[in-house]
Amino acid sequence: MSSSAAASAYWRVAGMTYLKYSNLCADMVRAALKEPVKAKAKAREIIYFRQSLWKDGVPQKQVITDTTEGTAGKLS
Amino acid sequence: MLRRAGQALLRQHVSVAESLAVASQQAQGVVREAVDGSSRGVSTLAVKQRMKSVANIQKITKAMKMVAASKMRSAQASTEGSRGIVQPFLRMLGDLPAAEGARAVFVPITSDKGLCGGINTTVCKYTRATIKAVADGPVASEGGEPNEALLVVMGEKGRSQLQRDQRNSIYATVADTNKVKVTFPEASAIAEELLKTEYDTARILYNRFVSAIAQKPTIATVLSPDELTLTYNRTRQASITTELIEIISGATALAG
Repeated sequence: MSSSAAASAYWRVAGMTYLKYSNLCADMVRAALKEPVKAKAKAREIIYFRQSLWKDGVPQKQVITDTTEGTAGKLS
Repeated sequence: MLRRAGQALLRQHVSVAESLAVASQQAQGVVREAVDGSSRGVSTLAVKQRMKSVANIQKITKAMKMVAASKMRSAQASTEGSRGIVQPFLRMLGDLPAAEGARAVFVPITSDKGLCGGINTTVCKYTRATIKAVADGPVASEGGEPNEALLVVMGEKGRSQLQRDQRNSIYATVADTNKVKVTFPEASAIAEELLKTEYDTARILYNRFVSAIAQKPTIATVLSPDELTLTYNRTRQASITTELIEIISGATALAG
């Protein structure tokens, strides 16, 4: 955020966002589930994408965010 | 003298005609051989092989079509499911496509693979047009600081199309988002990355799904809290100014 520290709430300054908060809550709920539903809910918390930042019109190093623990491709 | 020359010419002509006849006979012989000879069997064999390979390709494409249809169905279900979250927010917050900001971020959303008609081309076309419209916007025409345009391209197709002419404004590219499964945590992670651009206005350009054959190009505008406050203040200021003008003009009318 380009806002000055005084203008925004302290939790935003600390790097917290609504997205992080809601995902944290969702993780808690999923962790509290019992087995038949738990495995199904587990599939909804995976993250997989790759991105690269660009500089002067040239892509830099590629970063892959993967929380599937090697099951990527098998699930698709 | 002349006569002899004529005879020679005639002889030449005859020999040409003879050689032609021989050649045509030979050709006919070849044709006859081709019709009732062994080469006919070869050609039917080739056709048979061709038929077999076409049938195989037909089988493979049919299987691919079925896989694609099932993927499409699940994607459609999740799209329609996600609208339950998006639409109330949109109703509550509204959309402000004309918002101005020093740092404008554009997020064209395209696919990683092709064979889907003009979907990606449409998004790229709209992206170029929107970048231009924002660059020529009121801020620039009033002689203000030109907007800084940044691109965060989602999908390989958009990257390959936009890097041709917008290479220098690309901030980041994201791909393979639907390789495993599209989830809310994934969308959040990408949105967090998007926040790092420190945008004032972000415009998400995508094809809104209507049906399998109809997608509507759409722009969703996301403002940073700063920009929202600014817009709010500006609108409030404008309404205060109008009220003041009304009061003053009323007072002068009464006094005069």
